[in-house]
Amino acid sequence: MAGLKTIIALSFVLAIGFLLVILSSALFKSYLTLLVVATYVIAPLPNWICGRAANPDDFMESSGSGVVDFGRFLTGFFVVMGIALPVLLWHSAKIAGGAAVMSIVGGLLIYGTIISFTLFFQEEQEF
Amino acid sequence: MSSHRLFRFPKPAWINSANTRTAGVYTAGALFSLGFYILIDCAVWSGSAMNPSDPPVHITFVDWIPGICSALGMLVINSIDKSRLSADSFSYSGNGVAWKARLVLFLGFALLAGGLAGSVTVLVLKYVVKEYVWPTLWMGVGNVVANGLVMLSSAVLWVAQNMEDEYTYNLAL
Repeated sequence: MAGLKTIIALSFVLAIGFLLVILSSALFKSYLTLLVVATYVIAPLPNWICGRAANPDDFMESSGSGVVDFGRFLTGFFVVMGIALPVLLWHSAKIAGGAAVMSIVGGLLIYGTIISFTLFFQEEQEF
Repeated sequence: MSSHRLFRFPKPAWINSANTRTAGVYTAGALFSLGFYILIDCAVWSGSAMNPSDPPVHITFVDWIPGICSALGMLVINSIDKSRLSADSFSYSGNGVAWKARLVLFLGFALLAGGLAGSVTVLVLKYVVKEYVWPTLWMGVGNVVANGLVMLSSAVLWVAQNMEDEYTYNLAL
């Protein structure tokens, strides 16, 4: 399923995402939009960390699922933060509207790359 | 089980699936994030060049209190283990665990409702009574919307966690 073409396509999309975010900050001389990259890079981390901390197959013990749920909650928080942050900055005239749109699209591309990379290469990681 | 149904339409099967409650938890996080950033937006907008109010109207600590109350209430409500609410009849639960759980839960809901009511109070007393017009009014309206979203997020998280309990119960049977 996951071959060389997948890797090439994913890295291509990742490069476009970074290009859009860096362009959105460099074109408008306001480097606040780089925060979007930081947000989307740390967005998958809570799920990974909390997934290690608890065993989801353990149905009789309900104490473990709280940690997993907290990780998912944080993931949802970070994903919306990546969209809300540029809109917030645009609303307060810290960045231009074009920069906001470009950084949102670029951030979503970066996050989509990270997610689809983990989806494609999950089987290889387990061995 | 199915013969004890009260309503004509059966409960759809997807209600109790694990995917639905996962989606519910993600949605709760997204809603909380939206509420949180609307609150931050009010504060940033208040200090930015976009704020046209003259004489200047700014966010003070009063505007933060409802949001802090709502967030604390959400933390308290979702820290409670839901299965302890009906634990009094079981021998393992010890003495009065359900009573304590209900008391803490009541405090949480009071904080949450107090946050929403407080944000409406701030909107009316600080912005509506003094007859500010729309762009300035956003700082009060955004506060109400943010607290409402935190409350909604808390409700979604609560429902999702109860869903999990029923799911686990069905599986344990």
